[in-house]
Amino acid sequence: MKTQSHITTGYHKKGRGQHRTFVLLILFLIVFIVFSIGCSVSIGQVSISLSDTFRILLYKGSGMRIGSLEGISQASFADIIWHIRMPRALMSMLIGAGLSLCGVVIQASVQNPLADPYILGISSGGALGATFAIMLGFSIPGVLGQMGVAVWAFAGAFGAALLVLTIAGVKGKVTSVKLVLAGMVINALCNSFSNFIVYFANNSESIKTVTFWTMGSIASATWDKLPLVAVSIGAASIFFLTQSRVLNTMLLGSEAAVTLGISLNRNLRIFMLISALVTGIIVASCGTIGFVGLIIPHIIRGVMGSDHKKLVPISILFGSVFLIWADILARTLIHQSELPIGIITSMIGAPMFMYMLMKKGYGFGGR
Amino acid sequence: MELRAENMIVTLANTDIVNDISIRVKNNQFVGLIGPNGCGKSTLLKSIYKVIKSREGSIHLGDLDVLNSEPRSVSRIMGVVGQFNDLSFDFTVEEMVLMGRTPHKKFMERDTEEDHKIVTSALEQVSLNGYEDRSYLTLSGGEKQRVILARAIAQQPSFLVMDEPTNHLDIKYQLQILSIVKQMNIGTLAALHDLELAAEYCDYLYVMKQGKLVSQGTPKELLTSQLIGEVYDVSCEIYTNPVTGGLGIAYLPLL
Repeated sequence: MKTQSHITTGYHKKGRGQHRTFVLLILFLIVFIVFSIGCSVSIGQVSISLSDTFRILLYKGSGMRIGSLEGISQASFADIIWHIRMPRALMSMLIGAGLSLCGVVIQASVQNPLADPYILGISSGGALGATFAIMLGFSIPGVLGQMGVAVWAFAGAFGAALLVLTIAGVKGKVTSVKLVLAGMVINALCNSFSNFIVYFANNSESIKTVTFWTMGSIASATWDKLPLVAVSIGAASIFFLTQSRVLNTMLLGSEAAVTLGISLNRNLRIFMLISALVTGIIVASCGTIGFVGLIIPHIIRGVMGSDHKKLVPISILFGSVFLIWADILARTLIHQSELPIGIITSMIGAPMFMYMLMKKGYGFGGR
Repeated sequence: MELRAENMIVTLANTDIVNDISIRVKNNQFVGLIGPNGCGKSTLLKSIYKVIKSREGSIHLGDLDVLNSEPRSVSRIMGVVGQFNDLSFDFTVEEMVLMGRTPHKKFMERDTEEDHKIVTSALEQVSLNGYEDRSYLTLSGGEKQRVILARAIAQQPSFLVMDEPTNHLDIKYQLQILSIVKQMNIGTLAALHDLELAAEYCDYLYVMKQGKLVSQGTPKELLTSQLIGEVYDVSCEIYTNPVTGGLGIAYLPLL
C-alpha cells in the first residue's frame, strides 16, 4: 500500500510539471504572436522603426487616447501601419490559426494523417467559384456585389464540401475512406471545370488573377474583411477547445469511440460541417494557402503527442506564428515584388515535411 | 450486474448473421461464447455494445435498456475489449488508459488526481506499471491488448464484454488476461476460441453455429466430444487433465 501511494504522488507531481510547461508554452506563443505582429507591421518596402511602430499602434489602438503621433518622421507611416500592414498581419494570424485548427480536426475526423482542410474538395470548389466569377464577370447586385469573387468562392467551397459529405454518407455510415475518396473525386471534377473555363475564356489578365488567387494571398486584407474571419475562426476555436475528449476518442476508431460513449457518426458530421464553413471562409478571403493545415498538426503532434487537450491550442497558436512569418517572407523575399503566400508556405512546408518523414521517432501513424 | 439479451436478430446485407439468440449473464458470472469462425459471435457482441444495430431483440443490462440508450449511458457501466485496436495516430499508454475515464467526464471537466490514481492502479493490475510514457504503437501485441484491458478497467464498468481477448497472445498473457478479468468479479461475456481455456475460466458457455444457438450449459456438461464434433467438425477425445484436474481436449488429426 505504501509503495502504491508513493507511486501515485510521484506520478501526480509529474503531471503537474507537465501542466506547468504546457501553460508556459501557451503564454510564450501568445507573447511571440504579439511580437511577430509587431515585426510584421514594421517590416516592408518602407522600413519603419520598431519604436515608431509601437507608438503608432498604441495611439491608434487605444482610439487615439494614449500618446500622440508627434515626432514620427512621416505622416504616411501611420496610414501604412494602421490601414495596410495591421489588417494584413491580423489576417495572417487568423488564417494560420484557422487552417491549423481545421487540419487537426479533419485529421482526427477521418483518422488519416494525409488529410488537410482542403480534403473535402474545398480548395478546388472555391477555385471553381472564383474562376467562374472572374472569367464570366458575374457578380451579385447590391452589397454582396462588392464582395463578388469572395462570395462565389465561398459558395463553391462550401458547395463542394456539402457534396463530398453527401456522397460519403449516401449509403449508411460516413466512413473516413469514403470521405477521402469522395473528396478526391470532387477535387478532380472542380479542377477540370475550372480548367475548362480558363481554357475557353482565353483572357491572359484574368488567367493571371485566377492563378494568383489559387496560390493564395493575404495582400487584399482590409479592416472590414476581418470581422467575419475573426468571428468564425474564433468561434470554431472555442468550440473545438471544448471537444478535446471527443477528438481523442475519434482517433481510436469508430468502434472504440462508441464503447467509450462517443457517438462518432453524429460528431463527425458536425465537426466536418464546422471545418468546411471555416475553411470555406478562409478560401474565400485569401485563396488556397497550402501545407499549413497539413504540416502544423503533424509538427505539433511530433512534439506534444496526439492528446487534443494540448494539440488543439498549441496548433492554433503555432499556426498563427507560422503564417505571420510566411507573410513577412512573401512581402520581403523579392525586392519590390510580392509572392503569393501559398508559394512560401509550400516552399517551407514541404522540406519540413520531408525532414519529418525521414526522421525517426514520429511515425505519422504507421510504424 | 445482469445482462439479458433476448431474441436478437442481426441482419447484414440481407443475411441473418445472428438468428434469434437469447443470452443471459447472471450477476458476476463469467460467460463464454464459443463457436467456429464466422458463426456470428463477434456480430452478436457488437450488437450488444451498440456498434451494429440489431433488427430485432432487446438487451437489458441491470435496469438499463441498452438498445434504446445513448452510448454514453451504456459506456458508464459496460466496458469493452474489442478485437481490432489499431491506431492511425500514436498515443502514450497513459493517454490511452486515461481515455477509459471519458464516459464519466462532464463537459469540459478536467482529469483529476483521482483519475490518474485509477489509471495507475489499472496499469498495475495488468502489470504495465512504468509503461505510462511509452508510445502505444511501439508495444507488442500482448502489451497492446493489456493496455486496452487497462482502459476497460479504468472505465470502472459493472459489466465487461470481450471479443477474443486472447488472440495473438502467448500462453502467459492468455492466462494473465483471463485471470485479471476473473478477479474483477463482474459480469463478463467473452467470445473465446480456446475451448480448454473456456472450460477453465467460464462459469457457463453458449455455443453458436451459423448464427444460431446450438447449446448451452456449464463447461463440464456442455463440452462433450459429440458436441465439439458437431459444431467444429473435428474429432476429439475429452479427458480429465491429470496435472490440473481440469478438462482436457485431445484433437485427432483430420484425415
